[in-house]
Amino acid sequence: MSATAPANAVEMRGITKAFPGVVANNKVDFTVRAGEIHALVGENGAGKTTLMNVLYGLVHMDEGEILIDGKPVHIGGPRDAIGKGIGMVHQHFMLIPVFTVGENVMLGREPVTGPGFYNRVRAREEIAELTRKYGLALDPDARMADLPVGLQQRAEIVKVLYRGANILILDEPTGVLTPQESKELFGVLRDLVKTGKTIIFISHKLREVLEISDRITVMRRGNVVGHLVTKDTNEQEIATQMVGRAVLLRVDKKPAKPGPVTFKVEDLTASSDRGVPALKGVSFELRQGEILGIAGVEGNGQSELVEVLAGTRRATGGRVLLGDKNVTTFDARTERDAGIAFIPEDRRGAGLVLSYSVADNLILGRQRTPAFAWRELVLRLVAIRDWARRLVKEFDIRTPSIETAARNLSGGNQQKIIVAREMASRPRVLLAAQPTRGVDIGAIEFIHRRIVAERDEGTAILLVSAELDEVRSLSDRIAVIYEGKIVSIEPGDAPEERLGLLMTGGGSARG
Amino acid sequence: MAASPATVPERPRPRLPATARRVASGMAVPVGSVVLAFVIGALIVLATGGDPLAAYQGLLCGGLGAFCTQGENPALQVSSTIVFTIPLIMAGMAVALPFRAGLFNIGAEGQFLAGAIACTTIGIHLGTLPAPILLPLVLLGGMAAGALWAGIAGVLKATVGAHEVVTTIMLNYVAQWLLRYLIIGGPLQLASGTSKSSPIGAGARLATLLPNDNNLVIFGLPSSVYRVHSGLLIALLAAAVFAFLLWRTTLGYEIRAVGQSQKAARYAGVSVRRTIIVTMLIAGAFSGLAGAIQIAGIDHNLTDKYFSDTTGFDAIAVALLGLGSAVGIVLASILFGALHSGSGVMQADAGISSSLVLVLQALILFSIAANFLGAIRLRLPGLGRAPAARPPDSPAAALMTEAAAPPPEGSPSAT
Repeated sequence: MSATAPANAVEMRGITKAFPGVVANNKVDFTVRAGEIHALVGENGAGKTTLMNVLYGLVHMDEGEILIDGKPVHIGGPRDAIGKGIGMVHQHFMLIPVFTVGENVMLGREPVTGPGFYNRVRAREEIAELTRKYGLALDPDARMADLPVGLQQRAEIVKVLYRGANILILDEPTGVLTPQESKELFGVLRDLVKTGKTIIFISHKLREVLEISDRITVMRRGNVVGHLVTKDTNEQEIATQMVGRAVLLRVDKKPAKPGPVTFKVEDLTASSDRGVPALKGVSFELRQGEILGIAGVEGNGQSELVEVLAGTRRATGGRVLLGDKNVTTFDARTERDAGIAFIPEDRRGAGLVLSYSVADNLILGRQRTPAFAWRELVLRLVAIRDWARRLVKEFDIRTPSIETAARNLSGGNQQKIIVAREMASRPRVLLAAQPTRGVDIGAIEFIHRRIVAERDEGTAILLVSAELDEVRSLSDRIAVIYEGKIVSIEPGDAPEERLGLLMTGGGSARG
Repeated sequence: MAASPATVPERPRPRLPATARRVASGMAVPVGSVVLAFVIGALIVLATGGDPLAAYQGLLCGGLGAFCTQGENPALQVSSTIVFTIPLIMAGMAVALPFRAGLFNIGAEGQFLAGAIACTTIGIHLGTLPAPILLPLVLLGGMAAGALWAGIAGVLKATVGAHEVVTTIMLNYVAQWLLRYLIIGGPLQLASGTSKSSPIGAGARLATLLPNDNNLVIFGLPSSVYRVHSGLLIALLAAAVFAFLLWRTTLGYEIRAVGQSQKAARYAGVSVRRTIIVTMLIAGAFSGLAGAIQIAGIDHNLTDKYFSDTTGFDAIAVALLGLGSAVGIVLASILFGALHSGSGVMQADAGISSSLVLVLQALILFSIAANFLGAIRLRLPGLGRAPAARPPDSPAAALMTEAAAPPPEGSPSAT
C-alpha cells in the first residue's frame, strides 16, 4: 500500500526533447503525487504523448531527470519502465484478437510448467485473483475479439497490472468508449487509486478531466503552461490555458429558421458489412436551414445510415428523396452532383487521400467537374491551385503550402480540408458524420461555427456524432437512433438524461 | 500568397531547394541499390577468380561504348543499348501504372508476347498493304492484344476478386504456349521443321533511325548495321503519355486515389472496379505496344528466341528501380538495356560469363524490394535524414519538416 504522506510517485524535471524542426518538450516539469489521478491535458501536438513516451522509455530525452518514488532513475526502454512499476495503456490496444483474455494478459509472462508448457490453470487463477483484487470483472477464457471495446480496454489494464504496475499511464482512454463504458472505466480507476495505484490520465476531453482527476497539468506547444487543482478550476479555465486564448465552448447560434422539407428518408433499411440488418426502417425529414442531430451509442446504425445516404452503401429497402428526386440508388458521384455533400466519419481513410497534396484533396470527389477538368479528362491545374489557395485562406487551413501532403497536417487541419471542400460546393444537403472527432479545440470551435453558418445560409444539415455534447449544442432537433431505428425525435434542448435513456433503449418516444 | 504559413513559427532555413532535396532523397534508394548490386557483383567475380575491374570495363564498353579496349565500335554499342532499352521503357510503364492503382502486374511478359503475336499476324496477313496503313495497324493491333491480355486479369480482379498476381502469371504461360503453338506446327509457322514465323510485310516494319544504306559510313561502320529504330521515338512518346496520364488527367488522379485508398476513392465517387479494369487495359496496351515494336522494329518475325524473352519480367525491376515515374523508368530502362547490351562484350573481353548481368539485375531488384538501404538507415540514424527518427505521435514535427519547403512554383495569377 502507498505511503500515507502524499509523496511524489513521479517527478520529471526539466525534460527537454527536440525532434528535427520542433521542440516537443521544452524544460517540462511534471509531478504526480502517489495515489492521485493526475490529468495531463493539451491539444494535439502539445507534447503530452512525447512526455509520457519519455517516462515509459519509448523516447529518449535530450535533457532532464526522472525520479520515481523520490529516487532518480534511468529509463532506457519500456523494460526499465515496467521494472520501475510504470505501465502504459495505449490509445490503440496492443492485443491479439484471436487469443483469450488470459492469453493476452499473460503474453510474454506466461506461467509455465516443466519445459515450457503453458499452465492454463495457474494463468486463470492469477487473473482471477487480479480481477478480484481490483474489482475488474473479466472472463479469462473469453476470446478477445468477441469482447466489446470497453472490456478489451479493461483487459489492457489487467495486463499492465499483471506486470506489476503501480503507476498507470492511460493515453486518451475514453476515445473509443461509449458514455456508459467511460463511466465504468472511471469507476475502475477510482477503485485502483483506492488500492494505492497512481494514475496519469491523458485527455483532451475537459468534462472527463474535471470528473475524474485530482490535479491537472496543462501543456501547450511543448511547455507546461498550468498546474491546476481540479476542484478549484473549471472547463473555461483549462480550455483557455490549453489554447492560449479565451475559447468559446458553447456554440453561439440564433434560433433556426427552417424552410421547406428538402431531404426525406423513408423507411430506409440496409445491412452492415457482416450482412446483418443495421438499419431497420429509418425515417426522418430534413428542412432547409436546420440541423438535425443523430444521437446514439456508436454501432447502432449511424455509420451505415451515413454511408447509404452518401451513396457508398446500398440500401436494401426504403427511399431517399432530395426534393422530388429519388436518390436512393445514386452513387457518391451522382449524389454530389445532385447537391449532397458529406463529411465522412473516417477522416483519414475515407475523407482524404493522405498522400495527396492539400490542393488535390480539396477537389477530391469533384475532380471531374467542369471547374477542375476539361471535358472530364484533363485537370485544370491553375484552376485547382486558385481554388485551393482560396479555400486554405477562407477556412484557415494551417499548412505550409497547398502542395504539402495532407498526411503532414494536424488532425484539425485535415478535417478543415474536408469541411472546406464539402461546404464550398454550396450543397443543398450536408451530411456531417463525426465532424470534430479527434480534432483540437480551436478547430472544433471553427468547424462548429461554420456548420451553424452553413445552416443560416439555408443548407439542410444532418449531424451524426458520438459526442452527445456536440449533438446537443448544434442541433435544432435531435433524432435518437437505437438498434437501427429512430426511436424518437426530440427538440434541440432535450435534457441529456432523457437522451441518454433513449440511446440505451429506455424511455418512451414523444407523441 | 494565401498559403504562406503565417502560423508556423521559426522554421529552419532549408539547406537545399525543396525539389532538389526531394529528388536527391528519392534517388537515394534506387541509386544505392544499383551501387550495392555492383559491389556485391564485384565480390562475386572476385570470389570466383575473375577480375571485377575488367568485368565492369567490359560492361561499360558494351553498354555505353566507353573504355573499350578490344576495338569495339562505341556507336554500335550505344545503338545496341538503345535497341534493348526501347521495349523496356514501354513494358516498364505497363508495370508502373498498375502499381499506382495498387495492382501488381506480373503479366507484362504475356502482354508483350500477345502484342508481338498480334503484330506478326496482322503484318503477315495484310502484308501487302502500304506502310502508312499497315504500320499503324500492326502497332494498334499489338496494343489491343496486350490490352486484352491484361484486361482479362483486370476484369477478373474487378468482378470476382481474382488476385491479379496469380492471373497475370497464368496468362504469361498461356501467351508463351500460344506462341509456341503458333510457330511450331501452327498457322504462323514458316515451314515445317522451323520454329519461326514468316516475316511481316515490308509495310509493317519500323524504319531504322539511320538510313539503311551499306555505302553510307557513319562512325566507321556502314549505317545499315545500326539497328536503332524509330520505335525509340514511340517509346519516349509513350513515356510522355504515361506521365501526362498520371499527373494531368482525371483518370490518373483517380488511378492514384484508388491505389492510395480505395475507400477514399469510393467516397469521391470513383468506381474502383472500373478504374482497375481501365488501368489494366492501358497497362496492357503499353506492353503490347512494346511487343509489336520489337517485331516491327527488330525481328520482323516471331522466332523461338521469344520463348525465353524476359522483357516483361525485367520491366518489373525497371518499374521499381524507376520508382514508377516516367523519367525514372526511362533511366532504369537505359541501365538495364546497357547491362543487357554490355554482357556480350564483358564475356568476350573479360571472360566473365554474361550471366553476371542477370545476377546484377537480380541483386538490384532484390535490394530494392527488401529496401536494404532503408533498413540500414534505420539502424544508423547518423546516415541521411533518418525518417525513422520522426516521432509517430508528433504531427507538428512532420509539419515542421515539411515547413522547410518554400512555397511551390511561382504564382500563376500574373496571367
